Amino acid sequence: MSNIERTIETPKEKQNRHKAMEAIKVINSIKDDFKSPIESMNYFYDLFERVYCKNESLHNDKTKVGTMCIQIPSEIIYALDGVPIRLCNGFYTDDEIGSDLLPQKACPLVKATVGHFASNNFIDKPDIVFSPTTCDQKTKAGTIIRNYGFKVIDVDFPRTKESEGSREYWRKSIKQFAVELSKFKNKKLTKSNLEASIKKIGYAQSLYHKLSEYRKEEILPILGLDMFLITNAFFFDKIDSWTEAMEILLKEMKIRVDKKITVAGKRSPRIVFTGSPPIFPNYKIPLIIEQSDALIVADETCSSNRMFNDMVAVDEWNLYDMIDSISDKYLKACTCPIFTTNDDRIRRIIDLVKNYKADAVIYQAFAGCTVYEMEQRSVLEAMEKAGIAILYIESDYSPSQQGQLSTRIEAFVESIKNRRRRKK
Amino acid sequence: MSNLKKKINNMNLVRFRFWFQIVAFLLIVYGGYIGFDLGDKLPTFACVYNSDGTGGKCYLGMLQHDLNHHWETFLGFAGYAFSISLGMFIVWFWLLNKAWCGFVCPLGTMQDWITAFRKKLKIRFSQYDWSSRAKIKSIKWILLILLLIIPVMISNSVFGLPTLPNGLSMPFCDICPGRMLIPAFTGDFGQFYIDFSSKTEIVMTTLGMIIVGLFLVGSFIKKRFFCYFCPMAALQYTFSKPALLKLYKDGSKCTKCGDCYRACDMDILEIADDVTSKNLVTEDCTLCLKCVAACPEEGCLEANFVGKTIFESTKEGFIIRMAMDKKRELNEQH
Ligand code: SF4
Ligand code: SF4
Ligand code: SF4
Ligand code: SF4
Ligand code: SF4
Repeated sequence: MSNIERTIETPKEKQNRHKAMEAIKVINSIKDDFKSPIESMNYFYDLFERVYCKNESLHNDKTKVGTMCIQIPSEIIYALDGVPIRLCNGFYTDDEIGSDLLPQKACPLVKATVGHFASNNFIDKPDIVFSPTTCDQKTKAGTIIRNYGFKVIDVDFPRTKESEGSREYWRKSIKQFAVELSKFKNKKLTKSNLEASIKKIGYAQSLYHKLSEYRKEEILPILGLDMFLITNAFFFDKIDSWTEAMEILLKEMKIRVDKKITVAGKRSPRIVFTGSPPIFPNYKIPLIIEQSDALIVADETCSSNRMFNDMVAVDEWNLYDMIDSISDKYLKACTCPIFTTNDDRIRRIIDLVKNYKADAVIYQAFAGCTVYEMEQRSVLEAMEKAGIAILYIESDYSPSQQGQLSTRIEAFVESIKNRRRRKK
Repeated sequence: MSNLKKKINNMNLVRFRFWFQIVAFLLIVYGGYIGFDLGDKLPTFACVYNSDGTGGKCYLGMLQHDLNHHWETFLGFAGYAFSISLGMFIVWFWLLNKAWCGFVCPLGTMQDWITAFRKKLKIRFSQYDWSSRAKIKSIKWILLILLLIIPVMISNSVFGLPTLPNGLSMPFCDICPGRMLIPAFTGDFGQFYIDFSSKTEIVMTTLGMIIVGLFLVGSFIKKRFFCYFCPMAALQYTFSKPALLKLYKDGSKCTKCGDCYRACDMDILEIADDVTSKNLVTEDCTLCLKCVAACPEEGCLEANFVGKTIFESTKEGFIIRMAMDKKRELNEQH
């Protein structure tokens, strides 16, 4: 061997190298595999590369408030001058680490999250973690992480949202959360800082809604994959940079729509994506879908559309009314399948199909993500009733089974194209 | 045209309503001085006791008066008069439906002013919990039935019971806060008194004084406190279904986010949770349209007049009204 000087890689370096490989592969596919790329998407491609390949920290000087799921209100975190970092993880590398610590049949998202904490290898390490007790696995994951020496605070989350009891309960939880964070930050939550942050996030949401409007166009100007990147970037990006990048992107969208520049083929079927959340870089299924010449025009997942859709409405801008409004929004509007009933989610999917003129629904469930697996049947039945084609896919984070999955998805896409042709 | 529509959907409803209510209040309370008169069958509180100023009169007063007749006369001319009055009331009501409450009723407007005053003082409002809310609902119906039956029982013996004393001829007016408060705006405080002429009068006028007190304190704490108990609302609801102005909801677009419910002064839960009914004018609704303004879903809620959408929820309108349309700096205090 001539290469004697080669230094030995530490486990952390190895983990980072693997993660960088996973990340860059996805970024490159999105960048290169599709026609007429969007110039202003480069901000997002670079962002993911900077953070996940070059390990660049974005929030050195800030208190990083980790959240295990979308139910923790960013409005309050920003108001208290913290940065929300959503810890849902999509790396296979971390999933493998987590596999040694959790039951084999656990959800890969939870395994990857726990694996990430177990390796204690963070680019922006959270100073404190708030864990809403949503699904069982996330709830347990919170406790496991605590054992690794992180400061984890449970935020009690109810599993029904219709009753007044659960509404009151959740309002109390959110107040408690605000108190805990305020203590931790040694900063007071005030009317003015909360109002400013509600409006700030509202503005970010309004940009997302504007972008979504373009996805209703007959001639589609943006990939679903790009949308996932944009929304996933909100998990960890600086909010001001994010909104700025969105403003630029929106300008380009307008031009593209006017000039009829599209990312789609002539007959690309339009898909609504739902189920377990695609979290960067686990874009396995969305990638296959869009590489098979179908396009995701909308989604009902907590890593994207659901995260931005509903906005806080306040009637009287006093502190407590704002907190109540925020609590209500995070509970009442949530369509997560952990709730006793799944009706709101079904109605939402059907509405998306209608509004975005979609041809079909693709439903992904992570093997081990019980709630999405269980709700598969109810959604399938409802779609059948509404005459909407749907494909259910179980997947995980591993790079294998790619071939089998693409065969199924391609066949589905083909069948939709045929259906369309027959209709004409 | 579509530009105008956009303007309307993006409007600041709170401000629009505030000014509309002021104009309506002025006309109803002082309209009489300039000869403005909408008659005495209005489906809203415009008190007859405001003798000089009133620009229109409340039908409840007329209704109680109409019912105080012997059976025989009632089957004759009195019944005829009663039908005409009721017909007039219905015609007025058809036009605006419950928007009489949300936009015209001076008692409603006064409560909104008291609310605005509370807001200025930065004091928080209170709410009923859902079970008490459900119980409260029936009170206005009980009041309505009483105000219908008592006048009848003054002139007639019902079920062989003795007739009631004449002091009860306007039983609801005696306890209606409108009787004291509306004339007060024209400088007439003459209704603030306790009538010692008979036992009935003592009881009723004392009750009236207490209720005015409750009205003032209650609506300071709770938005539209009195409207929860108002028999006019019950009477209105009886005729609400065919009215021309409607509050429609397209349940398929609703995300049940509850924003509308949060904005509703009457705590109407159905507005958010009912995704199957189309007509959402419930018995307590005042058609104030605050819910439409607070709904972020495109075309999910709408005010509809004779089949035409006049104001509907839009994302853009929501964002503008919540002042989320501009970039804002976070207050950062290091
Ligand atoms: S599916 Fe539900 S519990 Fe799971 S991460 Fe999403 S919102 Fe949270
Ligand atoms: S006292 Fe009340 S019910 Fe009677 S006429 Fe006046 S406003 Fe109407
Ligand atoms: S419900 Fe309220 S607004 Fe309507 S008539 Fe009664 S007092 Fe007036
Ligand atoms: S605000 Fe609109 S979307 Fe939200 S619950 Fe009410 S009607 Fe439904
Ligand atoms: S349901 Fe809507 S229109 Fe009716 S009272 Fe409530 S906010 Fe006003």
